[in-house]
Amino acid sequence: MSELPPPRAAIVDYGTGNLYNVSRACQHVGLEAAITTSPEEVLSADAVILPGVGSMPEAMRSLEQNGLSDALKTVAGRGTPLLGICLGMQLLMEEGSEFTRHAGLGILPGSVARFPDKGTDGAELKVPHIGWNAVGRPPGSSGAWRDTPLEATPDGEYMYFVHSYHVVPANTESVVGVSRYGGIEFCSVVSAGAVFGCQFHPERSGSQGLRIYREFSRLLVSRQHSSF
Amino acid sequence: MALPEVSEHLEVKYGLPRQVKFCTRCVISNQRPNSTVEYRHTSESKKQTIHFDAEGVCDACRFAERKRTGIDWAERERQLIELCDRYRRHDGAYDCLLPGSGGKDSFYAAHVLKHKYGMHPLTVTWAPHIYTDWGWRNHRAWVHAGFDNYLCTPNGRVHRLLTRLAVEKLFHPFQPFIFGQKALAPKMALLFDLPLVFYGENEAEYGNPLSDTQTALRGESYYSATAIPDLHLGGTSVRQLEADYGLDRNDLQPYLPANPEALSERGVQVHYLGHYLRWHPQSCYYYAVEHGGFQASPERTSGTYSKYNSIDDRIDDFHYWTTYIKFGIGRATYDASQEIRSGDITREEGVALVRRFDGEWPERFAQEIFDYLSLPEKEFPVASQRFERPLMTLDSFLELADGFRSPHLWRRDADGWTLRHRVWDEPAAGR
Amino acid sequence: MITRVIPRLDVKGPNLVKGVHLEGLRVLGKPEMFARHYYQQGADELLFVDVVASLYGRNSILDLVERTANEIFIPLSVGGGLRSLDDIRAVLRAGADKVTLNTAAVRRPEFISEAARHFGSSTIVISIEAIRRNDGGYEAYTDNGREKTGLDAVSWAVQAVELGAGELLVTSIDREGTGRGYDLELTERIVRAVPVPVIACGGAGSVEHVAQVLETGAAAAALASLLHYNVARRSRAEPSEFSPHINLAHLDQPGFAKVQDAELPELKAHLAARGMASRPLPAHV
Repeated sequence: MSELPPPRAAIVDYGTGNLYNVSRACQHVGLEAAITTSPEEVLSADAVILPGVGSMPEAMRSLEQNGLSDALKTVAGRGTPLLGICLGMQLLMEEGSEFTRHAGLGILPGSVARFPDKGTDGAELKVPHIGWNAVGRPPGSSGAWRDTPLEATPDGEYMYFVHSYHVVPANTESVVGVSRYGGIEFCSVVSAGAVFGCQFHPERSGSQGLRIYREFSRLLVSRQHSSF
Repeated sequence: MALPEVSEHLEVKYGLPRQVKFCTRCVISNQRPNSTVEYRHTSESKKQTIHFDAEGVCDACRFAERKRTGIDWAERERQLIELCDRYRRHDGAYDCLLPGSGGKDSFYAAHVLKHKYGMHPLTVTWAPHIYTDWGWRNHRAWVHAGFDNYLCTPNGRVHRLLTRLAVEKLFHPFQPFIFGQKALAPKMALLFDLPLVFYGENEAEYGNPLSDTQTALRGESYYSATAIPDLHLGGTSVRQLEADYGLDRNDLQPYLPANPEALSERGVQVHYLGHYLRWHPQSCYYYAVEHGGFQASPERTSGTYSKYNSIDDRIDDFHYWTTYIKFGIGRATYDASQEIRSGDITREEGVALVRRFDGEWPERFAQEIFDYLSLPEKEFPVASQRFERPLMTLDSFLELADGFRSPHLWRRDADGWTLRHRVWDEPAAGR
Repeated sequence: MITRVIPRLDVKGPNLVKGVHLEGLRVLGKPEMFARHYYQQGADELLFVDVVASLYGRNSILDLVERTANEIFIPLSVGGGLRSLDDIRAVLRAGADKVTLNTAAVRRPEFISEAARHFGSSTIVISIEAIRRNDGGYEAYTDNGREKTGLDAVSWAVQAVELGAGELLVTSIDREGTGRGYDLELTERIVRAVPVPVIACGGAGSVEHVAQVLETGAAAAALASLLHYNVARRSRAEPSEFSPHINLAHLDQPGFAKVQDAELPELKAHLAARGMASRPLPAHV
């Protein structure tokens, strides 16, 4: 087989968040990744990582102003692997919270909802949800993580979360990971085709999280090889 | 950067060195006076100041160096044990006297004398001018940690008058405290028949002549004297105090030294624990917290960063402000210099702390202190007549202060008063 | 119930320091070593506080943050002397996930809103360091416990959250370093008053203390003495690693009588037994 240049990921910089830690995680697992604000670089990358921290409306505004929202839709449309992290995952959805009705990128059908002030037991729920929490496969979906970045992750592994909103995908089959907070079950991982999103921060989830980056990288390489 | 100002035309007060220099290791300046014999302290007195050697290092830093490497502490401790063995009582009586305030150093001293060296100390405290809440709490905690204590509080009226005089004539509010503190222990030693008296550190730690540290015994000249009428309290002779200020000999009892003949007859000896045990104030802090529930002050002391050094007297803030006025040395300089010598902070940090905190106006207790220093006619019918302005206000205090600023240290311009020489202006010394 | 155990590392220049009542800071070793150790032992997050940033008017902690972020992949909170959006940006860029603000927020509360808008509420943690007053209330302090503010700590907490803080770090200066246990009342009052997670800090002297404070409803517990002295004793750094003349004598017997040294795994096991789960011990790093 001919020598292929290693896959390159673009980390989208739209003015928010934990870019450098995402970049460090990629570096740590040997995945070439560059932080970019340029739609052209996003379009020409082998994979795109969309991180994010903060508010959805502002993020969307920034993506739109910089021509990135179109680039991302194109990337998703043609099947380039797209990894959305935290706010980045929420941006994939069609629309924001039912109260604010801000549009997301619309790459995946569904919406985003805020955690309520009380859990299912009536006790006060502190928002944002901050901390380590278990990520599990939905019941009856034992193969759900195959061929995804979660492939090597054991069911119920703990990851680090920090968020006030969670996604509500319209297509339940795309919900491949669930977690619980205050008794409320919510979607913590989506996977649909080449689009993959995690509500938690794999680059902040210790070795468990690095494993996800490693798998992501491995999938890119095998994808590259299989398309030749 | 301004050129150093060493103009020969500037007046130099108090016999201080004309040229201002800073120690290359700590942040103290060569203007720091050594301990004075307060009984002879008048407005004419010339100060002896801390000595800097040829390398620009002050005596206190040299002493700290010796403490680190040049002293056989095992041998010193042996001497302490021997001393204790000689005086220890087994019949239930006290065997030594420990003057202390309940601050971190006296906590350590009392605890270690009792629990490590098996002595039976009687502790004695000379009260601060005005207790801070936390100072009082710490004193109580000290006593309740397991020590008998006698607290001596002087006649408030007399104390206030002497303090006011000390401020007017010497700009030295702490002086009456110093008299009482130095005089109390020897007198109590005689009273309780306890010839062995222990103090904490040796003042030479902070820059009195190196030769002072050679022996454990405190210099005799500091606490004995004979001709009482010529002694000066608050820069005023006893004779004059009795003639013009409405005081009589009995009023002055707590401030007068013990009879030196009685002391030598009974063989009263004053020793520094700091001569026998390697003293580290910060370690005393930890020790006091751990063993006695000592609590640092909840607020930073004015003019410095520290919250556990000497925190029991509300007049303390003013004391250090007066040293800032007279010598250009504030509380932060003293505290930082000591911590640099102990290796707790670097000189760089010390300089930054001095720059940030030194000379800060002591706002927190100001009004209380002005009231304290005021001499209303009803309370001081005779003495109040001797003052142009018997009641002290912020303005009268500041005006008084200006008269104590030495021109070779202070420059006055449109913005007010500025020190001509500041440690942070000096080129950084290699360290 | 899910919780977090957060080792707090106070940093002065190149050194990790620890005091009592935030006073009398003593050098215990190199922060990198402590950080690595805690990461390997299962820390949920790490908290770095630069205790001389406001004194020097500069942030020298950036190097440390960057070096840590290159090998440690758990959340890092950084605070101490952060005064502007640029300061925050620099620290986040170096690898921090959250920043803690105290002095700057007290001086200009609008700064909290500005920072939350720019970087997201969950990135902004307001640090409240409190001392109990005689009347039973608590007063907030700034500048590493040195300056009074006159602010009631609980009211300030409520205000800070209204302005956009996503999390609160609440430290009892009275208890800090003493090993006498957290100030449960202070913690509980603030937990009840705000809808965001509260990290309790100051006073842990045993693993049971940590369980107690989490039972008040605090979302996380930060601790220093409980863990640091143990680490300092077991992995004494070479004297040559420190600048000359820095006093290290206390390292011969680091510790404090009331603090019962603990290790992270043991602490987390104790919490788990009480129904409080946290990040499981890493199988490998």
